[in-house]
Amino acid sequence: MVSSERHEQTSRCTLCPAGCELGLARRGPEIWRTEYPLMGGRGLCPRGGALGELLCHRSRIVAPGLRRDGALHLAVMSSAVGAIVDAAGEGLTVLLDGNLPAEQIAAAAGWQDRWAQLKVCLVLPPAEEQLLLGVEASGVDYLSSADLASCDGFVIVGDAFAANPMCSRGVFDRRRAEPRTPIVVIDPAVGSAAKFASHRVAVAPGMELAALASVAASADVATGAVLSGEPAPSEAGAAIAQCRRLGVILAAEHGRGAAWRQIGYLAGRLAAAKGGGVAVQTTGANALAAVRLGVRYGTVCLAEAMANDSDAKLVIGCDLAGMLGMLNLRVLGAAAALPNATTAGATIVLPVAMPGEYAGTYLLDGGSRVWVRPVMPPPAGVPTADDLIGALALAAGVRPEPVERRDSDLDRVDVPAPPPVEPPRPPRGPMLLLGRRADQAGEGALTAHAAWQAAVQPVPELRIAPADAEAAGIENFSIVTVRAANRAVKAAVKMTPELPPGVMVLPEGFPQARALLGARVDDSIGAVAASPAAVEVSA
Amino acid sequence: METHTSQTVTRRVLVDLDRCIECGSCAAACSVSHAQVPAIHFARAGVALLPVVCRQCKAAPCVDTCPAEAMVCDDDGVVRRRLFRCVGCGSCVRACPFGVIPTRLSGTPVQSRSPDRLSGHQAAKCDLCHDRTAAGNGAEPRCVAACPSGALMFLDERTEEPLGAELLGGRTAGEHPFKRR
Repeated sequence: MVSSERHEQTSRCTLCPAGCELGLARRGPEIWRTEYPLMGGRGLCPRGGALGELLCHRSRIVAPGLRRDGALHLAVMSSAVGAIVDAAGEGLTVLLDGNLPAEQIAAAAGWQDRWAQLKVCLVLPPAEEQLLLGVEASGVDYLSSADLASCDGFVIVGDAFAANPMCSRGVFDRRRAEPRTPIVVIDPAVGSAAKFASHRVAVAPGMELAALASVAASADVATGAVLSGEPAPSEAGAAIAQCRRLGVILAAEHGRGAAWRQIGYLAGRLAAAKGGGVAVQTTGANALAAVRLGVRYGTVCLAEAMANDSDAKLVIGCDLAGMLGMLNLRVLGAAAALPNATTAGATIVLPVAMPGEYAGTYLLDGGSRVWVRPVMPPPAGVPTADDLIGALALAAGVRPEPVERRDSDLDRVDVPAPPPVEPPRPPRGPMLLLGRRADQAGEGALTAHAAWQAAVQPVPELRIAPADAEAAGIENFSIVTVRAANRAVKAAVKMTPELPPGVMVLPEGFPQARALLGARVDDSIGAVAASPAAVEVSA
Repeated sequence: METHTSQTVTRRVLVDLDRCIECGSCAAACSVSHAQVPAIHFARAGVALLPVVCRQCKAAPCVDTCPAEAMVCDDDGVVRRRLFRCVGCGSCVRACPFGVIPTRLSGTPVQSRSPDRLSGHQAAKCDLCHDRTAAGNGAEPRCVAACPSGALMFLDERTEEPLGAELLGGRTAGEHPFKRR
């Protein structure tokens, strides 16, 4: 009988850029859980808290499977790899998780030069990728969570405190030192960050860029480069006009429209004009590195990969179907650590290592390069993503050559400023938004397997204004049906007085909630995007 | 073991109301280390949803009322639940004057939510992560270590000033009772 716990390797959580310290403790044979620093801990949100449980989850995919007659049959790795290469034929597009260590991304992308049939697409949440490209184009500095404490004013777009709870500490430290510090929040879903606002900007769904432009214009920052027309003056903008070090914190939730590149660029210009910087809170730890490596290695963008019907598709390490809400997506292969919506639609399912099992370089908080070591090795026979692509290349007869990765690969990339867009028209009628939650990572495919997450929110929670609930005849805590875009999902009502009428919010960590918004390739920006959707609610 | 001692805890978990972002990190940390039955629950106050943590009373009603002598006040003054004595009767839940022994988690009764687990019929009770803090080496309970915003503190009330308690900036959402400007 194993009666005592034993501390093992400590490392960092890589489920967001905060890179919080974590450890593992053994609770018996093959049973592990996350352990927290004994003292001086700087926090670890429920996503990181779930990592220990997920690493040894009983649903872990540890062997390949081939789908025949609707059922998965066990296979050996060589036959599964061979089947993918045979089925790929003319071309294979690998859709690779963008939040892998830089070394894995570089190694995977490097195969493109030697294997003509291979295209690599680094998959990031579309809104976050666009946001980061905009920030890169602005040339502004990146701020870490600790840097935020030295800012004298804040502009927060989206629910950044849910995206990365660690970033709230710097904001609160500053506010404790100077209680009158302006905190301007632009979040139509009125998430947790909005509750701490000194100036909460009234903004309709999909109108974040216009609201940010109003704030920027009132703080004497030109907005013509990203938005046509003259923005309305904003009281919140006047509040930050005197700031000498402005911290702009950005979180790009899924389904908030297509203008994230412009938002990132304008936020960067605003922060730079006020002597500050930008802190982008992404759903994974290495999104910034993926954007930079993607530009340098010439990987294909997600829109191009999705539009290419001739190539076979292999999704590695991410839940593409869940992320885009395309629950009927069919792909040739999917490699994942735990079952998800993408593996459900894959002909060939492969195992792959998960966060916590691989070492490598990340651009964590504030863009700093950090070497992260694994907390435990992957199970026997489970490859990392770059090993898997290497095995495919070898099976296709491609000769391996060493890939030279330079440290400068992770330097800021030179991307053009986004073109100006027309201000969108305010929506009419009830609109559905997705909001981020601190306990769910991204589309929720990974954390859905964790016991805590399953217990606290077994069904999605619908936040709704009391007036809208009364109009729809629904009661608090009741289970309702939410309909949008010819799809429906069951949700539990949570009346939210601070939410303006006409806005309903589902958590973005549920693929079935994402499916209500219908991601598409937006031709105006050449990228995948999803927008707020008209919604109906019934008891 | 005696059910009462003359000791009282020297360090308690304090909550800075104006730093809590409702992320649930504290309850999740408690859950993963306490057989998925968290001893922290949340109370709604206006628009705020705040963590409620055991106060570790010196004369604890939960200890007095427990018919199975599962609740005890140990030598360090920590009120703890003895795992194999608890029968899940709920007496402590009703006796607690502060309502900090949770009865429900997301609508499901805690005492019966996991019948296939060892903890299936037990009340959840904060033990200040005794396995970490008992050594007296300055270790913090997991909820405090997990709190990303700095809302939870593990302080000695006799010697340490609760940081920020007099400087609360206040939330600005609605007419909640914790707005202190």
